[in-house]
Amino acid sequence: MSPARGGWVILLSVVLAMLLSVVQLPQGTPDWLAWLRPNWLLLVVFYWVMALPHRLGLITAWLIGLFADVLHGEALGVNAFGLAGITYVTWSLYERLRMYTRAQQALLVLVLATLLELVLLAAQLVTLGLSFEWMGLVQTLVTAVMTALFWPPVFLVLRWLRRHLKVV
Amino acid sequence: MLALAILSLLLVVIDSNTRLLRPVRDALSTIVSPIYFVAHAPYDVTAGVGERLASRQSLLAQNRRLQSRLLEMSALQQQFDSLRQENARLRDLLGSQATIEADVLVAEIIGQRPVPYRHHLVLDKGSRDGVYVGQAVIDADGLFGQVIEVGRFASIVMTVTDNSHAVPVQVQRNNLRSIASGTGDSEFLELEYVPITADIAPGDLLVSSGMGGRFPPGYPVAIVTDVGTDPGLAYAQVQARPLAALDRSRHVLLVFPQHSDEGAVIQNLPQIEAEGIEGARQ
Repeated sequence: MSPARGGWVILLSVVLAMLLSVVQLPQGTPDWLAWLRPNWLLLVVFYWVMALPHRLGLITAWLIGLFADVLHGEALGVNAFGLAGITYVTWSLYERLRMYTRAQQALLVLVLATLLELVLLAAQLVTLGLSFEWMGLVQTLVTAVMTALFWPPVFLVLRWLRRHLKVV
Repeated sequence: MLALAILSLLLVVIDSNTRLLRPVRDALSTIVSPIYFVAHAPYDVTAGVGERLASRQSLLAQNRRLQSRLLEMSALQQQFDSLRQENARLRDLLGSQATIEADVLVAEIIGQRPVPYRHHLVLDKGSRDGVYVGQAVIDADGLFGQVIEVGRFASIVMTVTDNSHAVPVQVQRNNLRSIASGTGDSEFLELEYVPITADIAPGDLLVSSGMGGRFPPGYPVAIVTDVGTDPGLAYAQVQARPLAALDRSRHVLLVFPQHSDEGAVIQNLPQIEAEGIEGARQ
């Protein structure tokens, strides 16, 4: 068994995903553009678990989620739970997933992203004691759809990085 | 997975109901704060380039504008100084509490948490600069919010419009006290527990009352825009527009309260207010 290498690429891609999740659009861009932000962290974690299931485990995903919670100001543990759950599902399906077409994978991403965003929404409603609004649900679904649409390009970029930089 | 799920649930419950996890949060916050600085870097660069490329004409114009503004301000300052002395003398005569003077620290807003419903902004000053949780934040126009998390290099401010924010206020015209709660909408606040018969009208200025000791008294908070009196309800429905430029300000001020005339004054204070001031000074 060859030694693990290229861990910094995984770390860098996770940091980059976090960066993209908080970067602000320049003033003057229309407001609706901010609505179209996909869940970058989900895509990156999904890719690495599928491609290298021995490198990104449950605990790591959970810790990444914990950092995301602090970054986004969620109650501690919400994203942690979500990303660990996604890792669990991906991990139990990864052999089959690799055989899927890109569209089929995107469909699974859509399901996972919807579940994750619903968990986030529910956590916000419960911890903040807010009442349910349809706008929140629409936002959730838009994010999920955008995440699925971004899967093919993210996949191509990360695969290119993995092969080029020989991450194993 | 089950263990992690249970652990997560436990964390969520503890974190949303108690303050036990605050040290953990602050430590993690210190680690992730560079991400905010990096995300904001392009704007610093473009601002820097913009300054370099600004034409001589526009700089001169800006300089003239600022000069005249400075002149106006120093004229006001003279008035303010004499009024402050007079005020202190009168308060002394009445034997009431001296006003709290404050130091301020300028901070730049470097980010915003991308979470709907929450109005959390990231400042580029942290515990290294003496920022503490609960500190009041103002901008040029009014009360901005308060610090809710402090990392070493950055801190998080909750603005007055956040759904879980409330600030004790009074109407400047007649000192009617109330509480201005955020609504989650950055355009208006709501006043709580205002009796239907209360003397309050659109256009009234609301200033922080300083009750509870968290916010220094006397800072403008909002202007009343709408008073609805439905006889079927126990309280009037009062809406107010926050004065601080919550979504336009780039720089804000962190307020460090300092007591001007210590020993003599604290004796005169009711117990609870003395505690508030002690807490703020620590």
